[in-house]
Amino acid sequence: MWPESLRPRPSRRIDSMTANLAPTLALRGVSKNFGMTAALTDMTLELFPGEVHAIVGENGAGKSTMIKIMTGIHQPSSGVLEVDGAPVVLNGSKAARLRGIAAIYQEPMVFPDLDVTENIFISATSGLFLNRPALRRKACELIARIGMTLDVDRIASGLSLAEQQAVEIARALSQDVRVLIMDEPTASLSAHEASELRRIARDLADDGVSVVYISHRLEEVFQLANRVSVIRDGKHISTKLIADTDPQTLIAEMVGREVGNYFTKMPSTATLETLLSVQGLRVDGVFEDISFDIKRGEILAMAGLIGARRTDVALALFGMLKTSAGSVTYKGQPLKITSSRGAIDAGIAYVSEDRRKLGLAMALPIRWNISLATLQKYLTPLGLINTHAEIATAWDYKKKLNIRTPNTDIAVGNLSGGNQQKVMLAKWLNMAPDLLIVDEPTRGIDVGAKAEVHALIRAFTAAGGTALVISSDLPEVLALGDRILVMREGRQMAIIDHADASQESIMALATGQKDAA
Amino acid sequence: MDLLSRLSPAALRILALLAVLAIVVIFFASQIEGYLNGRLFNRISSSVAIMALIATGQTLVILTRNIDLSVGSVVGFTAFATGSIITKHPELNPLLLLLYSALVGSSFGVVNGLLVAYARVPSIIVTLATMALFRSFLVEYSNAKSITSDSLPTWLTDFPNLPVFSIGTLEFRAGFTASLVVVILVHLCLTRLRPARALFAVGSNPEAADMAGIDAKRVVFVAFALSGLMAGLAGFMFLARFGNITVVAGLGFELKSVASSVVGGVNIFGGSGSVIGAFLGAILVDLLETSLVRWAVVSEFWREAVLGALILLAVATDTILSRRLTKLRAKKSKEAAK
Repeated sequence: MWPESLRPRPSRRIDSMTANLAPTLALRGVSKNFGMTAALTDMTLELFPGEVHAIVGENGAGKSTMIKIMTGIHQPSSGVLEVDGAPVVLNGSKAARLRGIAAIYQEPMVFPDLDVTENIFISATSGLFLNRPALRRKACELIARIGMTLDVDRIASGLSLAEQQAVEIARALSQDVRVLIMDEPTASLSAHEASELRRIARDLADDGVSVVYISHRLEEVFQLANRVSVIRDGKHISTKLIADTDPQTLIAEMVGREVGNYFTKMPSTATLETLLSVQGLRVDGVFEDISFDIKRGEILAMAGLIGARRTDVALALFGMLKTSAGSVTYKGQPLKITSSRGAIDAGIAYVSEDRRKLGLAMALPIRWNISLATLQKYLTPLGLINTHAEIATAWDYKKKLNIRTPNTDIAVGNLSGGNQQKVMLAKWLNMAPDLLIVDEPTRGIDVGAKAEVHALIRAFTAAGGTALVISSDLPEVLALGDRILVMREGRQMAIIDHADASQESIMALATGQKDAA
Repeated sequence: MDLLSRLSPAALRILALLAVLAIVVIFFASQIEGYLNGRLFNRISSSVAIMALIATGQTLVILTRNIDLSVGSVVGFTAFATGSIITKHPELNPLLLLLYSALVGSSFGVVNGLLVAYARVPSIIVTLATMALFRSFLVEYSNAKSITSDSLPTWLTDFPNLPVFSIGTLEFRAGFTASLVVVILVHLCLTRLRPARALFAVGSNPEAADMAGIDAKRVVFVAFALSGLMAGLAGFMFLARFGNITVVAGLGFELKSVASSVVGGVNIFGGSGSVIGAFLGAILVDLLETSLVRWAVVSEFWREAVLGALILLAVATDTILSRRLTKLRAKKSKEAAK
């Protein structure tokens, strides 16, 4: 089940190191309570120089709390932190940084108004005057050390996510980092960018840095890590050398149960009727010559690297990008959509990849979010909102999609990522669309929630719906797509049947190593 | 590389503002006879001398995603307090008097800073309250009396109008020159000092600033204290220029200082902007105000409305201009890369 390239790499002899060396950073019996809830209980973890230590666990398992304790943002309720074998108190992120502990996150923490150089040296504490030429030179060196090319004078707001992460890593390096915590660093990156990032992590570890690598992508854990620790419900479950474990064991340890069909493709529910047919679609300067059909009941997956312009194709179908050429036939009729309203009226729903920016109103209650796109369904004859019907719908979806929340009046922003994703799906499923376009449906959510979201999309198509799924997660593309459309830099490379597709063949097309058939 | 691609976005912004200023001057020169002369320069420069200081302080606060609405009251109070001290002790050393103004102003700023940064009350609420509060202190302290210019020593009232140097017919007087020097000093500190970078960082992304080990509370506190300090210096200038101080001194300065900063390209949501921009913004607002008074086409009933419209127009022109320049620059540097 694991392709050759994803086999565990031979581990360095971390076990022999543990015998001789004091850990760079250790948590000993650390607990953290927030009021009555215990976020961490008796956590013990040792990080050694030169190792990539993966930490896996479902969302809400306590990973973020643990990072916040390691970076000095939270103080443990009990237990101690040790640096080089000596107990320390880290009061504040500055104290952690001074000891060489830094973290980078899925959503990079950069300053959009400052340039790359200023971003890298923002935490520097020595010297009153800024020596711009010297800092600029050092910034170039740091960027070069992690093997990136980046103009150090650029303002950060224009940088891609991968570039922003590079800036953060450079910032950590500028302070002689000894423990680098990477929290879901590749969740928002394309496959190519992700492999670059893993290379950087590996290089840093080889230089003696302890890298803590938190990821939901198990295949990258097995590619990269020397050891892996599982945490569940705030408790330490296991720490093993990567060679001593396998994905199934890890998943079982993470969820506390067996998750059967996470990577398994279910039979297609496609019918013979063509729902949507796209011919030579083009948006000047963005993408061109996109042609495909989707059958009713089918799942078409769109694979590609970031910058392949898959989202733009979706936006064009959803009426949010003006097309310059090509035709769309929908339910046997020519279709011309010029606004998202028009698309919604035609029964096309688009679930955005960016929950925060485009998908959900984070400060509003769950039920408001669910009814947002279909509010006219809930109007009384007087034009007021029928709250009872709205609540009923929200509860219906809460049950059907297993949204974990005590009630539907809670602000969406308070839910975990996976549950937010389900609310977003509920919002669009509530429209009862004929065509559901889902962009990165499981970005940054845990394995259990991933399986649930996949099941939802399958249930939708089994009930007669049609789905276009855009995903950068190759196992996901293979698990969902009846057929797979691969794009590269605004061009359609190929459409492959599921039976003929593999991670390698998709990647070869997406990176341009293999030409369009 | 040509000049355009060597300029930073901030510099382009300043360039656009200067262009808008030039357009305004040319427009009114064509409309009003005898418009361009030394008197216009003196009138605007002596008024900007005060507003530039306040707008500089306001800019520091806005950079951190906050706002200081109490500055008008601080200017009024400081002017009165400074005036009454020098009336009672006419022999006081000028530097000590200036220091007194600075102290009075910054102590108000410290109060704002403590409430916003450490008590975590939103700045718009805190300073709206302290605006009223500080004004009431002034009413109470003054006992409804006024300071009059004949009770002040002549060195003080003469100071703003002392000629320092002149370029052609334009005479730079001491008040304006001093204020210009302060603005340039603050600008140099903001761009060259390491701790100043934290001001931009906190306004640009507070969460990231926290993660980067920056003490955001202290940064916000310092910004408010400095805003108070600048308002205190402005109070000193206000006293020196007008001599007569009543309880309404500095009324409305808070909004004018916010207008100056924002017209000068300071992002109202924090993180970007420069005090040079705010300084030019202050000049632009004042220039429009002064010129409208002399423009016979607009009746005085419509003056405020036209001023508002012109400010909007100026901001729009400036935004479009600087966006065009930035785009042009991006294009040029792309071509250069090829």
